[in-house]
Amino acid sequence: MGVKQDDGSIMPTSEQEKISDELDIRVKKFLRGEKTNLEGLQDKKLKGQLAVREELFGKSAQAAAKAEKWLLPSEGGYLEAEGIEKTWRIKQESIAREVDILSARSQYDIVLPDLGPYTLDFTSSGRYMAAGGRKGHLAILDMKNMSLVKEIQVRETVRDVVFLHNELFFAAAQKKYPYIYNRDGTELHCLKEHGAVLRLQFLKNHFLLASINKSGQLRYQDVTMGGMVANYRTGLGRTDVMQVNPYNGVVALGHSLGTVSMWKPTSSTALLKRLCHKGPITAMAFHPNGHLMATAGKEKKIMLWDLRNLKDEPLQTLPGNADTLDFSQKGLLARSTSSFVQILRDSSGTQNYNNYMTHKIIKGYQVEKVLFRPYEDVLGIGHSMGWSSILIPGSGEPNFDSWVANPFETSKQRREREVHSLLDKLPPETIMLNPTKIGTVKPQRRKEKKTKEEKEADMEAAVEAVKGIEPKKKTKGRNKPSKRTKKKQEIVANAKRPFLEQQKKEEEQVARKKQKVIEQVELPTSLQRFSRKKSAT
Amino acid sequence: MAETKRKSRGEAKGKRGKPSKKQKKGTDTRERKGPRLPNALRKELERLNPVDEGFGSDEDQEEVYGRDLYEYEEELPEEESKKNRRYDPVENLEYQMPEEFEDENVSSDDDNDTRNAGEDGVEDEDEDEEDDDGRQRTTRITSEAFEGKKKKKNNVVISEAYPESEYNPTRDMLEGEGPVSIGDLLDPLHGVSGYSKLRKRIHHLEKKSVPTPAPLPKADQEKLERKAAYEKSKEELQKWEPIIKRNREAPTIYFDDDMDLGFSTVGAIASEFEPRTEFEKKIASLVYDDQVMEAHQKDGSRLLELNKVSAEDEKDRHNRMAKMRSLLFRHEMKSKHIKKIKSKTYHRLLKKDRLKASSTQSQMDPEAAKELAMKQEYERAKERMTLRHKGSSKWTKRIKERGIDVQDEGTRTAIAEQQHLHALLTRKMNSMKDGSSSSSDDSSDEDDVDVYSAGSDQARASKLLEKAKEKTLNLLDEDDEVPNSGVLSLPFMVRGLRKRNEAAAEEAKLALHEYESWSNQLEDSNGADNAKVAPPSGRMVFNASKKEAPESSNKTKSDNKIRSDNYYGNSDSEDDFEPKENVDIREDRSSDLQNDGSINPVLLHKESKNHKDSLFKNFDDIVQDPGPKTTHEVSIFASGTWKKMKGGNNADANVNKPTQPLESVVLNQNLQEPVKDLDEDSDADSEGQMVDGILTSDPKVESSYELPSQAEIIRQAFAADDVEDDFEKEKQEVLNEENPEPEKPVLLPGWGQWTHVQKKKGLPSWMLQEHESAKRMREETLKKRKDAHLKRVIISEKLDKKAEKLYTKSLPYPFTSKEVYEQSIRMPLGPEFNPATAVGALNRPEVMKKPGVIIKPIEFEEVNPYERIEEQTQSGKKQKKRNKSKSNSGKNGTKVKTKLKN
Repeated sequence: MGVKQDDGSIMPTSEQEKISDELDIRVKKFLRGEKTNLEGLQDKKLKGQLAVREELFGKSAQAAAKAEKWLLPSEGGYLEAEGIEKTWRIKQESIAREVDILSARSQYDIVLPDLGPYTLDFTSSGRYMAAGGRKGHLAILDMKNMSLVKEIQVRETVRDVVFLHNELFFAAAQKKYPYIYNRDGTELHCLKEHGAVLRLQFLKNHFLLASINKSGQLRYQDVTMGGMVANYRTGLGRTDVMQVNPYNGVVALGHSLGTVSMWKPTSSTALLKRLCHKGPITAMAFHPNGHLMATAGKEKKIMLWDLRNLKDEPLQTLPGNADTLDFSQKGLLARSTSSFVQILRDSSGTQNYNNYMTHKIIKGYQVEKVLFRPYEDVLGIGHSMGWSSILIPGSGEPNFDSWVANPFETSKQRREREVHSLLDKLPPETIMLNPTKIGTVKPQRRKEKKTKEEKEADMEAAVEAVKGIEPKKKTKGRNKPSKRTKKKQEIVANAKRPFLEQQKKEEEQVARKKQKVIEQVELPTSLQRFSRKKSAT
Repeated sequence: MAETKRKSRGEAKGKRGKPSKKQKKGTDTRERKGPRLPNALRKELERLNPVDEGFGSDEDQEEVYGRDLYEYEEELPEEESKKNRRYDPVENLEYQMPEEFEDENVSSDDDNDTRNAGEDGVEDEDEDEEDDDGRQRTTRITSEAFEGKKKKKNNVVISEAYPESEYNPTRDMLEGEGPVSIGDLLDPLHGVSGYSKLRKRIHHLEKKSVPTPAPLPKADQEKLERKAAYEKSKEELQKWEPIIKRNREAPTIYFDDDMDLGFSTVGAIASEFEPRTEFEKKIASLVYDDQVMEAHQKDGSRLLELNKVSAEDEKDRHNRMAKMRSLLFRHEMKSKHIKKIKSKTYHRLLKKDRLKASSTQSQMDPEAAKELAMKQEYERAKERMTLRHKGSSKWTKRIKERGIDVQDEGTRTAIAEQQHLHALLTRKMNSMKDGSSSSSDDSSDEDDVDVYSAGSDQARASKLLEKAKEKTLNLLDEDDEVPNSGVLSLPFMVRGLRKRNEAAAEEAKLALHEYESWSNQLEDSNGADNAKVAPPSGRMVFNASKKEAPESSNKTKSDNKIRSDNYYGNSDSEDDFEPKENVDIREDRSSDLQNDGSINPVLLHKESKNHKDSLFKNFDDIVQDPGPKTTHEVSIFASGTWKKMKGGNNADANVNKPTQPLESVVLNQNLQEPVKDLDEDSDADSEGQMVDGILTSDPKVESSYELPSQAEIIRQAFAADDVEDDFEKEKQEVLNEENPEPEKPVLLPGWGQWTHVQKKKGLPSWMLQEHESAKRMREETLKKRKDAHLKRVIISEKLDKKAEKLYTKSLPYPFTSKEVYEQSIRMPLGPEFNPATAVGALNRPEVMKKPGVIIKPIEFEEVNPYERIEEQTQSGKKQKKRNKSKSNSGKNGTKVKTKLKN
């Protein structure tokens, strides 16, 4: 097929150009940045090597683009309105009439009125869902065959549920502590150190379970070895708005003062703090590519922020409240307040979101959480009377990569993937705002303390510089050799002085510090005579 | 010294194959002729009459001087040499021959010369010329040949070990002969075949010849030589350049990629085998013996012929095989059968188990109980008829005859068992007649259990009655069956049986009447319509027992019933803690009573409806659909387990109900009633509206599930006031923490300066300056921050020491600019990020070789130097091909090496 197109025997030229343009865009995406500029390179060998490398990169990108263009099994779509139709007027019922049976099956409501508003979480493949009722109902469901895997009642408040690396384990933030359960509902761990956790997040690539508790403490726990990786006091009060950026693993917290702070496990201070809203932040979500953040404030505003190019102003400000926000894989943004769900879409591709679909659940139902199901055009809504699932065309990624997440995973594959993911586990320090910087040259420190050798070298250099100066020829009496040598020595001593002084100062500081330590441990005077005398210093 | 000289000369003379020495000598002599002149003078002379002048004159001179010198020098060395008897006579003899030979030559030459000098013979002229030319040539040749050796002396050619002098004259001089020419040398060859050819060639050479230029100084000569050699080697090496360039530029070099490693098949290995040891050789000689081989081949063909089998033989074989197979099969079947046979104890145990199982089953299921009873009854009847276990069988009789005491343990027990069985069966038959209270152990057991669980006398009585009734009915039914064969089919037996049956039926009817009357009495006391329905299950009993529980509502009853069911059925763990759970949940629910209230009206509504129906029906309803109206599911695919769970939840919720205030319930009910009636049929709608109505009536409860603390509320209320200010302050704090603001300069009064001066001047200028500079520094550093131009963003500048190891400390070697380096590492190389076609090329190592294979030196090949680097893979292939050919040709590694040296 490709060959024929290359010949141009089948397609008209305009069509061909279109395809090539499209391919170019894809190639650009796969090239992951600008080509190396070889113009200024002096080293011919390096130049040659880099040229070869670039060519290989180009070929790789080309092949990947072609595969993406032609070989992917299904294509994504979205609702398109004709004439005076509006996409947001299209109801779920009318969608249900048009779609296939399998999709229509994913429109349903589960009514569980007793155990409170439900929070949801999907595995990365979208196959399993964990539902946590506020009043202690935990359930795991297989979404493919719509069967209940296991449900338990913990009989205490459940604030959040989150799957760990696969469907076998999930963590639930309960009244006092978070717990880890396995698929059979067996309690595996009680994470007492975390305290009364309000929100849980799992960092898939790093195998870290991040939690924020009532007293505003952010904790990271390694779920493989069990060690507590980090424990930081945010100092910004209680919050239950917490979201992990899937792109770089940075955890963002939304605070009551309208600020969003971003954290990593190896830094006790926030990497970034930004004032987003005037009111307290109620919800937050990250675009899957990690470059876009949506926040909602109590002052009835939803704002979209660019995370790569930091600016004071948001990219876009939308009116309205949101108790919960979520981005889909294809970049649709769902927001919800009380019993009203709205889906926004970036139709123009310029990060200008506007209304795409709306949905109202029965008035009075309080939506707790909206969450797009991965690899499906489905939005899960957890509310006070159970949960519902509606169809949002164009929300999910139509093609799954079985190396990344496979909804049809067998248990053998799951085991294999578990081992692989454990082997590929990233250390916590790889979490940073811009992970592409890993492997580059270390940024220059602003002010670095010089080492002893460097200091000595500096001093020597200064002395040498001074020695080189030929002394002036003085009048007869003053030009004696003895005086000249004396003068020379003086000059050298003068050159050395500042260095020596500095050294002395530092030593004094060190000594003072030491003394302080010693003073603290000093014996009472009456007993001092018995203490062993230190060797003369 | 002299000896050696002699010797060498003698050798030179002796070996005719070495003309060079002699020639050299010739030249020597020529040069040395003439009076001894100082070097300078001689040079002058040469300059005046250069060699080009012609040979004639030179010759003349030569002749003149030559004669003089000859005369003069002849005697002395001769004497010396002869007198000194230090030579081996043998040597002398040896050398004499060539000397004579030469002498002859010389003399002839001399003759020629003299003749030339005298008359200039016409016939010999050209010959003479020839000679001269030949001599000239020889000199030239020698000069050329010895260029390498003598570089210091210009024109002097030394062949002797010692410089020529009066004490050490040349042999020519000593012997008084002139220089030897080629002609002289050639003359003796006259007449030999090929002589004319040789002469012609020499002539040709002489014609062309040019005068010999003076050889260059040694240094220059060497330089020239080196230059030439360099040119040559450069040329040699240059042809390798494109190959080397290609290899240098290639991202990957392949070495012996196509080398065939090892043998592919066993056959190949075998074919390569060469016998080495004695033993192997012996075997090889046997194996590869011609006769043996031949015989083998012949045998093979013969064997083929023999392979033909007659049809009869085949048939026989077939039959034999079939027989064997059938035998085998039979044996197999037998062993299978034997294996299936179980021991007596096994069967006994099995029977016991079965009995137990059936008894338990009968407890559970009335049908099974009935069946069991039937079976037992049948057995009893059979026993009565056949008296099989009475001890009348042949085997028991024989045993008895022989005496029981003599028997072993097993038989005794067997007999005892038989007797016991008989007793059991007959006894049962007897007891049967007594009454229906305990027809069988199992049933009585069951009764006991039921009775205990019921815990109420009335219930127990009714239960008993029912049991009895059932039994009698069963019996009635059972007795209708009359066996058609055996002893029982005999007419008198049949008659007897019928009579008995009739009697029994009568009795049963009587008994039934009695039961009925008793049960009626019981029911009256209860005041329920329970008796009308008499299902054969134990459930009725529970119902009856529950009657005494406080009759709060129908619902609770149903709930209890479900629970009790569970107690006797599969023991569900969830149910075990249910009461406790209920309590807990009630506590939890204290905050949202309203929610429960929403459920109540429906329940009550339903309840009222249900009251009208018969109790029995009501129960059935509940059993079928444990989830009452409130939990109608919208889910289409919800599984059964799911439903059950909901039922459980609902039950819990219902338990709470009694705690609620009744008034509200009633109110709600009133509100709901009309709506309810309208959309009874559509579950979802009714539910939605219902919930709607209630929730809207009290929106506060649903909006927040946990009340925020006072502080939180306050903060929320005032949060929006000065958020920006707060943030700015925070930012300032962060900045100050990193670069603290310089302290304001202060001066202690009276220190450093006079106070009055201080007051006038204010702070000293240096202090102010210092302060200023510190301020400026701070501002500059702040400006360098990433968030310097962002008001609402704080970017931490804190260094993460742990993450530092993820960066490179300095630029790696070949790179000189950071940008180029960072761009070069932007692409991931792993298989996860690249298509399979590109991964290999991206990750190929610089050198590809096979382990254990000797890498052969590079071989020359024609390469287009302007070929693009792109075709690296192709070139690799080329190399491969080459290697292949190489490997085919065999060991040519050494050859290549020598080539390289060239």
